[in-house]
Amino acid sequence: MTTAAPLHPALDPRFFADSAARDERFTVVDRWVDCARFDDADPRKRLEFLHRQMNEEVAVCENAARSLVDHPEAPWELRMWLARQAADEARHADNYRRAFLARGGRLGDYPVLSFQYRVLGRITSLAGRLAVQNRTFEVDGLDAVTHAILEAEADGDADLVALYDAQQADEVVHIRFANEWIRRLTAGRPAVLLEVGRALALAAQGFAAVFTEGGGTRVHKYGVAEELRAMAGFTEEEIRTAVALNEERRERARRADA
Amino acid sequence: MTLTVRERADTLGTLRYASVHAMETLAAWVPTTPDLEAKILFGRHIWEFAQHADQLGRRTHELRAALHYTPAPTPAYDGALALLRSTAGARERISAFHDVFLADLADKYADYLAATDAFLDEPSVRVVERITADLRRMTADAAEARAQRPALTGSGVATAAALAAALAAARPWVRHRAPAAGIAEATA
Repeated sequence: MTTAAPLHPALDPRFFADSAARDERFTVVDRWVDCARFDDADPRKRLEFLHRQMNEEVAVCENAARSLVDHPEAPWELRMWLARQAADEARHADNYRRAFLARGGRLGDYPVLSFQYRVLGRITSLAGRLAVQNRTFEVDGLDAVTHAILEAEADGDADLVALYDAQQADEVVHIRFANEWIRRLTAGRPAVLLEVGRALALAAQGFAAVFTEGGGTRVHKYGVAEELRAMAGFTEEEIRTAVALNEERRERARRADA
Repeated sequence: MTLTVRERADTLGTLRYASVHAMETLAAWVPTTPDLEAKILFGRHIWEFAQHADQLGRRTHELRAALHYTPAPTPAYDGALALLRSTAGARERISAFHDVFLADLADKYADYLAATDAFLDEPSVRVVERITADLRRMTADAAEARAQRPALTGSGVATAAALAAALAAARPWVRHRAPAAGIAEATA
């Protein structure tokens, strides 16, 4: 059994709490460079992606579940959303598990990250967690799944297209409730904005520590899913800003890879 | 003799307390249970109990109690719920929760249906019928998770038998309020 794996010595414990439990089939790593990374042409790339996504969905489920436990004082309506998100993410993980096994994978074939759970463990504010988990990580996932749908369509993999499509609809809901509740919590107590800012800064530092080495931040394949962000409750200005930042990031990545 | 309106609210509110406790127990277990299949099982069922709590909490408001009225149960039943929460190990947790706690909860809902007036209290009956169907499905889900992962990790400390005994001994489990002054009510 793997529980609370020790943090990689290169990482600063101020940004990372204990990991969630994983059973003995899984090897938990802390850095992107320690994950299995394959060339686009390698058939293992698609399998590893399904395995990784399965683990990430579990991590989001774990984070939503932890927030339910840590914040019994939250309004019931918000707790209902957290419960819903936990269940959706568990279902997504199961979908990926089934897809991975159906394509010949074996659970634990590839290392898995505990990044999302560890970083969120250092954020105590519920609004801060929603800002990082739902408004940042989930939004990045929205862009990535949009790209994955196009890839699966090109491969003629209708089952995967259906899986991604259903997941994408669910994620929009999770982002939207976070947007709505961050606004409501902020309206009730403006200091929440400071908590959100601190949480985002901490997550950014954690993200850089985990993903920079090995090129995990040099992603330039896909842009911002603008219509989906609008459905998820982002304002036009927020979307314009996201598009501009994404273009800058992709340009830097292209130059680095050139 | 059928339950009074006040007794219906007290019983459904206490079932809401149990549902919230179940939701929080599963939520606490998701990160701390190693096995993927058990995490998925617990994660999916968190939402089931949230919905039950929501439906029960709306119904209590229709029974002259507060919206989401959630009275604490008797100490004996509360102790049994605490024992459930303290269970460690994927195998032991599924056994305690899905074999023992859910079965007892289903009995409590069945007792409610037997004790209330199906016509006068029809909205409660419909809520309870939907919930009991969910409980049956959750039990089937647990069987599927066990089949997917026969080698569930265990803590070696089983609580199922002790929990079954604690639940059986927790009678009564609802703490009924005294009749409110100024509200004329039926006599049970």
